[in-house]
Amino acid sequence: MILQGKRVPLPSAPVVHHRFEAHAAANPRAVAVCCAGQQLTYAQLDARANRFAHFLRTRGHGRGAKVGVCLDYSPDMLVAILGTLKAGAAYVPLDPSYPAERLRLLLGQVPGLSLIVASPTTAGLVEPAAVEVVDLQWLAAHLEDFPVTSPDVMVTGDDVCYAVFTSGSTGTPKVTAVRHEGWFNLLNWLTVEYGLHAGSHNLVVSAFGFDLSQRSLLMPLFCGATQYLMASRNFDAAMAYRMLNQHDIRVVNCASSTLYLLVDWETARGGDALTRLDYMLFGGEPLQAERLLDWARREGNSCTLLHQYGVAECTDVATSFDLAGYRPGDHDIPPVGRPAHNTDIHLLDERMREVAAGEYGEICISGTSVGAGYLGGTGPESARFTTVEVDGEPRRLYRTGDRGRVNEEGDLVVAGRMDAQVKVRGMRIDPADVERALGRLAGVRQAAVVVDRAASGETELVAFIEPAGDDLVENDVRARLLQALPRNMVPARFLNVPRIPLSPHGKADRAALSAEFLD
Amino acid sequence: MIADSVRAIWCRELQRDDISVDDNFFALGGQSLIMAKIQGEFIEELGIEVPMDQLFLNPTVASISAYIESLGTVTR
Repeated sequence: MILQGKRVPLPSAPVVHHRFEAHAAANPRAVAVCCAGQQLTYAQLDARANRFAHFLRTRGHGRGAKVGVCLDYSPDMLVAILGTLKAGAAYVPLDPSYPAERLRLLLGQVPGLSLIVASPTTAGLVEPAAVEVVDLQWLAAHLEDFPVTSPDVMVTGDDVCYAVFTSGSTGTPKVTAVRHEGWFNLLNWLTVEYGLHAGSHNLVVSAFGFDLSQRSLLMPLFCGATQYLMASRNFDAAMAYRMLNQHDIRVVNCASSTLYLLVDWETARGGDALTRLDYMLFGGEPLQAERLLDWARREGNSCTLLHQYGVAECTDVATSFDLAGYRPGDHDIPPVGRPAHNTDIHLLDERMREVAAGEYGEICISGTSVGAGYLGGTGPESARFTTVEVDGEPRRLYRTGDRGRVNEEGDLVVAGRMDAQVKVRGMRIDPADVERALGRLAGVRQAAVVVDRAASGETELVAFIEPAGDDLVENDVRARLLQALPRNMVPARFLNVPRIPLSPHGKADRAALSAEFLD
Repeated sequence: MIADSVRAIWCRELQRDDISVDDNFFALGGQSLIMAKIQGEFIEELGIEVPMDQLFLNPTVASISAYIESLGTVTR
């Protein structure tokens, strides 16, 4: 079974920042970014990004280089991102809401990092680093020596534009690279399919490390619209809702859990800022549609809810579904819809043969959105990027590890993972990665992490700990783990067990633990 | 006392009654979605909007209460 996306021709150099530059040339005085009272026009943002691109090039960081960006949301973040792209390099988001220990581990996964852009409030998270750390504020006077014109670096659709961290399957996070052509195709598809335009102002509400945040950051600049950024390291619902009320924001991209939060906020306090939006694009975890339906049916609600599916390895979004077409009861699981332009969804069995219509298979993605793979990838995960033959032609394809089927309406439905990976509040997590961090804590002999469902319906992690001595105190273990892992990766519950049962292969038997200790 | 109101809100949202003023929110199992609810209840019950970044920087009842008092704008 193959779901085929519409074939749409792309320009000969499908490069995202060229689209931004065209808007800057056509409408230089349009506002590109607003953040905490600061704003930059398209011309100002373009000039500052050009100067930073020239700076990178004089340091020898041009085409093919990788630049780490560890910044809070700010106009400078867009200067760093666009400047990096204009230099022909790729950027790597380093989320300042992560603990320093985690950022150090992630930095170790990026081969050949050139430089890190930080600020006085984030530099301490990445220093000491093996590479130069620069601060745009501190560099400001020096940057004025560089020309405001584009460095005109040749960039092709096959060059890498960004690389984001994602879970592996063996306890080590991976950094997966996205190509310009895939990113251009994604933004062009959303723009064309949903009629986005120079008035489609956007508010970023997701953490910088997520792949969806890269789309959210560039989407308005691709359309000639204004980007609104929150001057907050952590998602702030009160601030977001206030900004939605104050500004003519039309589009929000977020994880489903953030969407519930915003909808609950509006429902609890009254207001119509969300219902007045044009679009909310969301996904990244199984949808609890019942949490949205009452709000969605409110009279006068003109916001289109786009339930989307995708993986970081294939440029973030692969399919999209207008939730207005969802009839609860018809399906248990809300569909994620049809493929992006120039993207195909294959449903394959374990021998890589297509399954029959309506049957479950592994969701595999081919086409323009397939990324450049894992940087420095030698692990077993790299084998997920493979080739299949379709109509006698070889096609590059990525095996997502997600299970799904195509329903009678021709929409994709995602049924879950084929392995132990799990999504918590939109973040894809490899339980082995958490087990490894637990295993490094003093007093832990061995640990196993399993997935459970909280009473609220949300997915949560439960850690089983075999202590080396006395039983460990839950709050103490949690506090220590918070020094090593992002908050979404820290289990909700910790249970001491006398012994972690092992499977015949000698691995922790997660199924046996769940069966014995969880309902 | 602000701290009493703050503690009552924390106990409600974390669904436990054994919270001391120096317990760390995250060590108690709190996460961002619960913190967002607490932010909302501060608005409703204390009449003050505390920025999320401040809630994260002050993860104990004692420190966030001190922060709120330092603003000096609470009237009830």
